[in-house]
Amino acid sequence: MKLLEHEAKKILKENGIPVPVGFFIRSADELLSHLDELGNSIVLKAQVDVGSRGKAGGIVMADKRNAIAKARELFGKKIKGLPVREILAEQRLEIQHEYYVSITVDRSSKQPLILFTDGGGVDIEITAKEHPDAIRKAGVIPLMRDIPPFMVRELIGTAPKEIGPVINKLYHIFCAKDAVLAEINPLATTPQGVFAADAKIIIDDNALNRQGIKVNRDLSEREREAEKNGFSYVELDGSIGVIGNGAGLTMATLDLIEFYGGKAANFLDVGGGAESGRVKDAVRLVASVPSVKVIVVNLLGGITRCDEVARGIIDAEIPQKVIVRLAGTNEVEGRRLLSDKGYEMLDTMDLVVKKAVEVAT
Amino acid sequence: MIYGDRNTKVLVTGATGKQGEFHIGLMNTYARNVGGKGVVAGVTPGKGGQQVHGVPVYNTIKDALDDHDATTSVLFVPAGAAGDSIMEAANAGLELVVAITEHIPVHDAMKAIAFAWMQGCSVIGPNCPGLLSPGEVKMGIMPAQLFSRGNVGIISRSGTLTYEVVDELTRAGIGQSTVVGIGGDPVIGQTFIDVLQRFEKDTQTKVVVLIGEVGGNLEEEGANYSDLPLVAYIAGKSAPPDKRMGHAGAIVEGGEGDARSKIARLKKIGVPVAERPSDIPDLVRGLFKGC
Repeated sequence: MKLLEHEAKKILKENGIPVPVGFFIRSADELLSHLDELGNSIVLKAQVDVGSRGKAGGIVMADKRNAIAKARELFGKKIKGLPVREILAEQRLEIQHEYYVSITVDRSSKQPLILFTDGGGVDIEITAKEHPDAIRKAGVIPLMRDIPPFMVRELIGTAPKEIGPVINKLYHIFCAKDAVLAEINPLATTPQGVFAADAKIIIDDNALNRQGIKVNRDLSEREREAEKNGFSYVELDGSIGVIGNGAGLTMATLDLIEFYGGKAANFLDVGGGAESGRVKDAVRLVASVPSVKVIVVNLLGGITRCDEVARGIIDAEIPQKVIVRLAGTNEVEGRRLLSDKGYEMLDTMDLVVKKAVEVAT
Repeated sequence: MIYGDRNTKVLVTGATGKQGEFHIGLMNTYARNVGGKGVVAGVTPGKGGQQVHGVPVYNTIKDALDDHDATTSVLFVPAGAAGDSIMEAANAGLELVVAITEHIPVHDAMKAIAFAWMQGCSVIGPNCPGLLSPGEVKMGIMPAQLFSRGNVGIISRSGTLTYEVVDELTRAGIGQSTVVGIGGDPVIGQTFIDVLQRFEKDTQTKVVVLIGEVGGNLEEEGANYSDLPLVAYIAGKSAPPDKRMGHAGAIVEGGEGDARSKIARLKKIGVPVAERPSDIPDLVRGLFKGC
């Protein structure tokens, strides 16, 4: 789950990485009591989770005189469709130079990977494509408490030495907070020292519980409901609902829909060993999306029993047509239950998908 | 065979849970049918002295190894304790841990896999269905009735999609040597490269099918390494960016790891890529002709 800038900066500050003097506000009036501390040069940053927030008008420069008016204006705006409900008001830094530093999980080396580059505020993905040599990288063995000093020296090169401890502290945060990304961009040098001018932290979805995070904000309401039921659920923008067991099989079903010229409305993986009650919930959830015209159920029973799946489909009693492919454990019984009720069943995933695309178009 | 055969003795950690108990039964049914050793002991802290399907349960892996010379553990431990269980297995001297558990925090996985590597222990998974060498050994949760013995190796990041492909191959009269589910998480122990290295040394395996999906570039890395004839399938062509497609590792991030660029890179190094799972048997047959 992505943390907002003010949440990420709070963590940085608690762990000894300097951040600009700043206040988190929910209305323009709240700014009044902080104006003296903020000084004359102020930056107002909308706390919305969108990329390129600055370009989209989410970051506004102000001074002491006009800050409240500008904050009011920003609160009335939408940034890439998202209403501004919270603002981080910060003292503007006297930036001399900007750097980029991030820590991610590297799949190939199976360890944290630190990226550092001279020149901050950049889009690292673009830099990686256009100037790959400008990015210095270092992998840390995940059992180490600190980044070895030599590695820090190699990473920062001729950049100011005071950046070194910042990177090591960021690594501590990365580990302690179960982060899959911890990024400071830009990391700014100023006459007052080094500051994290912007920060981004993403917490591992599998560790939200032990990090004390109760609600995953990155999920839509339906996605959250699905998660509660132990389903994986993704919303897309077509007209065919897709239910499968196992992420790979369900994804392959989506791809097959595209192959036959259709478009999936959503993706629901019921997981292993689903019983009829869960299948019923799954079918109802997928059918609750207004754009769903037809539902494909593609199940390959191993620990999932086909008769349970069949009962779940029947109990769901949804208005849309359901086209079913069942194979594996208790297949015969499952098929008999469905054919008694007049459901359309086909033998392979190619056939069910082809049929669903015909119905949907 | 890679990773084990009918003589491999297996421990199950998390033996007394619902999943552990269920699959000890299935693994030992399989072992009986092929004349194999199967699961010889279970481990659950605090449950030592119990039995599961006639298999004795111990409090620790070390206790179990005092009575049984097992080399492999298949792990059904809940996510929060699974990293610890991998390290316990490695520390006790096991050669292989098959981690079935899903939703292990990625930091736990990184630490446990690094620790196991230092002890010379290989980890398959986490978040995987395990492996099956038809006629020899089943370590994990794959539905054995779909498999048939033959010369095709399979390496896959998925569970049920693997069964789909195995089913297609078996129906087409093409048997399998060993099928390995390496797991759907971003950080996994054995990757395509590691399993391919084992297949290279396995005289039974003539062709390998790689079943990949969006996220990362481990498929291409593996394919690039191997001299074996390969066929690939990549799931997730229709996956939108920044959406996790069921598996923790199935996500296109920062414009990287999307299916189309993976497929393009695989084709560039000469690997035929199946458009649909049902196209895989024909592509495999084509490579057999070339052998």
